[in-house]
Amino acid sequence: MARYQITEEDLAYAQEFMETPIGYHSPGLQRVLNRMRGADWTRRYVLVIEERYRLWRLAQLPVGRGAQVEIIEGVVYTDLVEAERDIFRRRWKDLTGQDLDTALPQTT
Amino acid sequence: MLPIVGYTNKLTAEPGETVDVMVSSFGAKTYSADLRQIIQGDTNPEGPGYKDHLITLDLGGTRTAISKPFNPGSCVIVPGLGALPAIQDFTLAAVVRPTLLDGRRRSIVALPGLAEIAIDGDGHLTGQAGDIALVSSVKLSTKHWHVVSLSYDARKELLSLAIARDRDEASTPPRAHIVSTKALLAARVPSECIIAATRGADGELTAFLDGKVDRPALFDTCLEPDTIRTLLTDFALLRRQRSLLAAWDFSRRMTSRTICDISPFQMHGHIHNAPARAMTGWLWKGQELDWKLRPDLYSAIHFHSTDMYDAGWDVDFSLTIPNDLKSGVYAVRLVPDGDEDSAYFCVFAVRPPRDRPSGNTVAFLFPTCSYMAYANHRLGMDVPGTEIGMGRAVELDRHHMFLQNNPGIGFSVYETHDDESGVFHTSRLRPIVDMQPKVKSFLGGFGSNIWQFNADTHILGWLDAIGQDHDVITDEDMHADGLTLLQCYNVVITGTHPEYYTRNMIEALQGFTDRGGRLMYLGGNGFYWVVSFNEDMPGIMECRRSEAGIRPWEPGHGQFYHGFTGEYGGLWRRNDHPPNHLCGVGMTSQGFDVSEPYVLSDNATDPRAAFIFDGISGPGIGNFGLAGGGAAGLEVDRADPAQGTPDHALVLASSVRHTDIYLMTPEDLLDPTPDWSGTQADIIRADLTFFETEGGGAVFSTGSIAWAGAMAWNNYDNEVARMTHNVLRRFNEETPFDFPGGQGW
Repeated sequence: MARYQITEEDLAYAQEFMETPIGYHSPGLQRVLNRMRGADWTRRYVLVIEERYRLWRLAQLPVGRGAQVEIIEGVVYTDLVEAERDIFRRRWKDLTGQDLDTALPQTT
Repeated sequence: MLPIVGYTNKLTAEPGETVDVMVSSFGAKTYSADLRQIIQGDTNPEGPGYKDHLITLDLGGTRTAISKPFNPGSCVIVPGLGALPAIQDFTLAAVVRPTLLDGRRRSIVALPGLAEIAIDGDGHLTGQAGDIALVSSVKLSTKHWHVVSLSYDARKELLSLAIARDRDEASTPPRAHIVSTKALLAARVPSECIIAATRGADGELTAFLDGKVDRPALFDTCLEPDTIRTLLTDFALLRRQRSLLAAWDFSRRMTSRTICDISPFQMHGHIHNAPARAMTGWLWKGQELDWKLRPDLYSAIHFHSTDMYDAGWDVDFSLTIPNDLKSGVYAVRLVPDGDEDSAYFCVFAVRPPRDRPSGNTVAFLFPTCSYMAYANHRLGMDVPGTEIGMGRAVELDRHHMFLQNNPGIGFSVYETHDDESGVFHTSRLRPIVDMQPKVKSFLGGFGSNIWQFNADTHILGWLDAIGQDHDVITDEDMHADGLTLLQCYNVVITGTHPEYYTRNMIEALQGFTDRGGRLMYLGGNGFYWVVSFNEDMPGIMECRRSEAGIRPWEPGHGQFYHGFTGEYGGLWRRNDHPPNHLCGVGMTSQGFDVSEPYVLSDNATDPRAAFIFDGISGPGIGNFGLAGGGAAGLEVDRADPAQGTPDHALVLASSVRHTDIYLMTPEDLLDPTPDWSGTQADIIRADLTFFETEGGGAVFSTGSIAWAGAMAWNNYDNEVARMTHNVLRRFNEETPFDFPGGQGW
């Protein structure tokens, strides 16, 4: 089990992520991402390629080899960076119960 | 998904040679096939564009697509027991340590038609003879060895099932728990013995065991459990027993498929689907760590219900490589139901002919060992940490979805079996769905995100773009032919990630550069792991990840030596062939998010390196690319004299920072402190390195997997591609390189 728990004190890191989802991150943001992307999930968000380099569908991958990939209907992306932002928002909600867009009204 | 998949019976063939193609439908009704030369497989719109050439060769018309299954699961099969006299009284015994009890029924040893010892879905030992079944009250444990036996005494009409658990921590001797029942059994002759599986009603193998079995034996008398234990501990005593019908000593001929019966009947068998041999047995207590010195202690086989060697599909068609087909990378393309977008590519190399020179002086070394190591890998699906290493979400391409739905295809050496023990073996005698053009991966960095074969097509595409004639030779060719093959060339060019090497291969390549050959190592984390082929099982490769290295599992205590060859498994740097000695650099870190440029060092102005920098100015190079946006990244190597980098090697340029996803390799992280990360530690870098060899040869190493992705940037028109061409041009000249300081320096 991960020791680190995400709280409102991490909102600054959420803001940092929204500005730069991929690349260099502060140690604080990296810790948030480690918590979000680590092993403490029974279902992990994944991107199922619909068209390579053009279109992705959001899905969840249950733990367990051979488990059926569960497509989340209606969620598609045409940009990987936007996909990262959306997955971050979903995980923030999952882990804190908080709507990130409400907490960070300046993000879109 | 993949409506059709297939594989060829070899990954390298010369002109005139026949290649068999095995195909299975996973939804397709029909398919057609053609032969293509693969030039550039990356379909990233920002890349140079996909390119292949249709080869005019009739591979037949439309064929019916036949569904063929994957049948994983390993066992031992001993045929020919029918030669024995009918068996009345008997004892069937074995020593077993299951490694996975998950509700499935598992067979330990079976004489179909006569008797079987198994584990039921609740983990209890069961015995079956004729129509009589016994269930022990004792459950097996994955933490202990158990001596198990099923005995029949015809005079007493008594069938007995016994189990004694060895508990190392207990201070009392093991005690057998016995359950018996009255039974009237007719004398019978079993046709075969199967160890770690049995046959179902359809005759197919089933009930595969995940676990270790040691010294199974069959007697024509009813023996008490204590007697069985005494006999099984001493093969010399055992083999002289008049009651012995068979006893299989797995410690004999461990490097082969053969299973030896030490009884006078000599009813030898063979392994099926390549379980792990040379594994610590019942009597191993740490007395020795090398099975070659005490083979008697390595008398167990570790079986897995997920082992896979040869898919064994029927041949759908064969093709003969045309005599005039030039060496290159080709694929039999299978088009299901006329849908070209769903085509499957069975990729292989056409090597130059053995009996005549091709005339080419440049060879691309097609790294089949590394393709096999990663074959059908599931890192993004099975390993949660992959997303952390990628720095973004996992993408699942069609072939990943296929793998998820078809785990029976077998694993790469990056996976664990269902019992969480490491996968030692990988095979090319099955479809390798990630060894195709166009496919995306997990580890290829933000951008194209392609890996191994498809990433290597950036180099093939570059060779095509500059019009460089070349041969393609494979790891298997180099393993088999050694320097005899390499000596034909001035230049050998590697792929992006030639990580897995046999001893033959690394010695051949070292001999090549020692004798004047020129090596262009256009990758990262090369020459890292020891792998072995098996002389008795073509197409399979072993890797035991001992002691160090970035690795998903360890082989288990006492099991660090390869079963195929007896070689010490693990890193070449622990086996006196550090990659730094061969190519100047060695693995130092990895991260799969973004890549970086190199910054030139003062050595870049050294006259020895002037040819490399023709038309190139610094201070940075490679601030672009399809693999993470830079030329230095994904897996990066550093020069290090302490690991064998020659003293005269020139580090021409280095990356000077990486993200904190890049951490130190375990072999160098002797004392973990939190400063060993990409933004903090100078040791985490890619070193662009050049040196000459005393024999007039030279080595150019990029130390970065991402290098080729930068070569392919802007349609191969950039400073990284230019530098690579500068090197190739000079390396392909006959003029020997001067060794700095002269001979014997």
